[in-house]
Amino acid sequence: MVLPTEPIGSIPRPATLIEGIQGFKAGRISQPELNALYESAVQDTIQRLEATGSPVITDGEQAKHSWATYSIYGLENVAPDGVPILFADGHVRNFPRLTAGPFRYKTPADVYLEIALRYAHVPLKQAVISASALSLLYPHASIGGYSREEYLDALIAEQEGEIRRCLQKGAHVVQIDFTEGRLSIKLDPTRRLLHSFIDLNNLVLERFSSEERKRIGVHTCPGADRHSTHSAEVDYAELLPSLFELQATNFCVQLASEPDRKRVLKLIREHAKDGQRIFVGVIDPLNPRVETPEEVRDRVLEAAEYIPPDRLGTTDDCGFAPFSDDTSRTRETAFNKIRARVAGTALASKVLGLE
Amino acid sequence: MQEQPKTHDEILNRLNRRLRTVYQCNSTFFQAESEQELLQSICEILVASGELRLAWIGYCEDDAEKTVRPVAQAGDSLDYLKQVKVSWGEEMETGHGPTGIAVRTGKACWVDDIRTDPRFSPWRVAALARGYASCIAVPLIPYGKPWGSVDLRGTLNLYSAERNAFDERTIEHYTGLATCVTYAVTALRGHLAADLTSGVTALRASEERKRAQDALQAAQAELARATRFTAMGQMTASIAHEINQPLAAIVANGNAALRWLANSTPDLDEARAALKRIVNDGHRASEVIGSIRAMFKKDSQEKASLDVNQLIREVLVLVHAELQSQRVSVHTELMEDLPQVLADRVQLQQVIMNLIMNAVEAMGSITNRARVLRVKSEVDESHDVLMTVEDSGTGIDPKDINRIFDAFFTTKSHGLGMGLSICRSIIEGHNGRLWASPGIHHGSVFHVVLPTGRAGAER
Repeated sequence: MVLPTEPIGSIPRPATLIEGIQGFKAGRISQPELNALYESAVQDTIQRLEATGSPVITDGEQAKHSWATYSIYGLENVAPDGVPILFADGHVRNFPRLTAGPFRYKTPADVYLEIALRYAHVPLKQAVISASALSLLYPHASIGGYSREEYLDALIAEQEGEIRRCLQKGAHVVQIDFTEGRLSIKLDPTRRLLHSFIDLNNLVLERFSSEERKRIGVHTCPGADRHSTHSAEVDYAELLPSLFELQATNFCVQLASEPDRKRVLKLIREHAKDGQRIFVGVIDPLNPRVETPEEVRDRVLEAAEYIPPDRLGTTDDCGFAPFSDDTSRTRETAFNKIRARVAGTALASKVLGLE
Repeated sequence: MQEQPKTHDEILNRLNRRLRTVYQCNSTFFQAESEQELLQSICEILVASGELRLAWIGYCEDDAEKTVRPVAQAGDSLDYLKQVKVSWGEEMETGHGPTGIAVRTGKACWVDDIRTDPRFSPWRVAALARGYASCIAVPLIPYGKPWGSVDLRGTLNLYSAERNAFDERTIEHYTGLATCVTYAVTALRGHLAADLTSGVTALRASEERKRAQDALQAAQAELARATRFTAMGQMTASIAHEINQPLAAIVANGNAALRWLANSTPDLDEARAALKRIVNDGHRASEVIGSIRAMFKKDSQEKASLDVNQLIREVLVLVHAELQSQRVSVHTELMEDLPQVLADRVQLQQVIMNLIMNAVEAMGSITNRARVLRVKSEVDESHDVLMTVEDSGTGIDPKDINRIFDAFFTTKSHGLGMGLSICRSIIEGHNGRLWASPGIHHGSVFHVVLPTGRAGAER
């Protein structure tokens, strides 16, 4: 039994799809034509991910506008000028802002899952955005006739439904993307915001049985976009104790790009709870150089010194293109890096006597 | 130092501009809904005041270059900020300008003449090309708090087309403004946490309430079921008798029928009559068994349209033997065409049975008058169904008339005191009411009101 390994989610979109999206916005191509491009990108991505040997794959999030806003993209009661997320390289991504109630998802993740299932021959993982990230949609100035409590209540119901349908439709695992953990400490050093994020996500997770929660994971990273992150400067020690309070089973933790991995691993060992499996990041998507399988192997073995193999897995630090317009990495690089992860994890498994 | 304004008018104009700037900035502090909006507005207001050509706010990064990253900017030639790099690191060449010094010292740092000040040499050419002559960097420090006590490190950076534009009062003015900006940013960040925390706390409380209610309901249902089982257990003998009676009659009638048929001239009429009695007794036994099965069913928690009269009759069948053994005579007064109620059959049967058995028990010690049980159904003035169970027993002490519905309250030497409490919670679960009152001459009357939905419909 080799160590489990799985991707985070996104893969850079093919140039034809990016051009198609721009063409659709400019009115040059129709919705059915764009849909065909999406479907073709999903099919190609799945084929190529399967070819890497990855035992679990994703659809590469080819049809998602972004990892964070896919479910609300196109809603009429959402404006683009919400909370700004500042990245270390100076670029800003504004989170959307809810302008009116009621709140409903427009395109939940299971819609993407259904399409991917048509083409996949190996288990599919489905990523969903966390309730805590979407909680930032509600503006500081409240919305008349639609309270924050009503919004959060609707949000939790929407996410529960989304996760439940993904599980029912056959997702191997559902991963909740929780990249705002370290960001929250940057926004509110008192950590009240972080605790609220954890509590909100747990309100969703508690609606699932312990058996269902075995198929639910959480991904954390400092929010990669283009060549930068939004909160890598926040010490992991601020986040990890609270992170493992989340009532999920699997934790995909960015690690490869950490300057002091051993320190983070010690923190994980200290704070992870029994029954939680840690998928450590062994690939750094922001680094254009493709890791060798031997490098990956060594990172896994390093992690195995702190996390017992029966609770260890591997993953990438982050998706390779969380936003659909991100062209800072190539598809080829992403697939090569994933291939290195799979091979390196197998090498480490052998050393650990797991084969 | 600053070149002095030439006239009083110029001084007055400058003070007026500053007053307007302060007023506009104050409005922004209160109105901005996001950090980005706040910082950008401040930069725009400062440039609009006419004293500055460029205003930008930079945040410190912990990257290798210790970059001061512009997060908001306004004014002429914004490409300047794309062209230059500014650092707060002492070891960096670009860390020795006013911005880097202000970050490190926590004090405002200014350049009176960009042409000659050696600290500005890395940016001189680019700045002069855009007409900047002097500049100041003011650290963002929250009022009353030490530098670095909040997660906000940065500077407000201002560029003027005039040399010596920043005199003592001007520096004081911008230092105060930077403090206010810091305070406003901190407050906005606090709002974000406070807003969400209050929302999540409310949601968590409501979730906990719901869970507690669900747990209570489950416990009540379990207790109700256990109570039913206990009651049924106590009546085993009389129920067995109730079933045995029709079975014995069936056997007797069967033998009789055989005898009628065995005659040399079979008496078919008598045999038919005996067989009819067998069928009737079979139905009766079946009714009793059906009632027992209903009582042992797990609560379905599903409500259906029910005939209360039918439920009363079913329970009376079940307790018939018990009533006989206790020498209780039953008077029923069931209204014809009683409207149906939306109810859980098992739960309602339990209430009726509990009230009837309580009545029987209350009459157990009566020897000087008839033991009479009256069960009545009717429609009350609100068009709801009213059922009453009346006994001629010892009655309830007036001081206990309301307490009898409290959990664990009992006047009996045995029992948990849960029966009436469960009955009331069941009836209230049906949006109905259950209460007790003294009988006219003796005993007690228990009243159950169940809504039919007609009252609302007529309103």
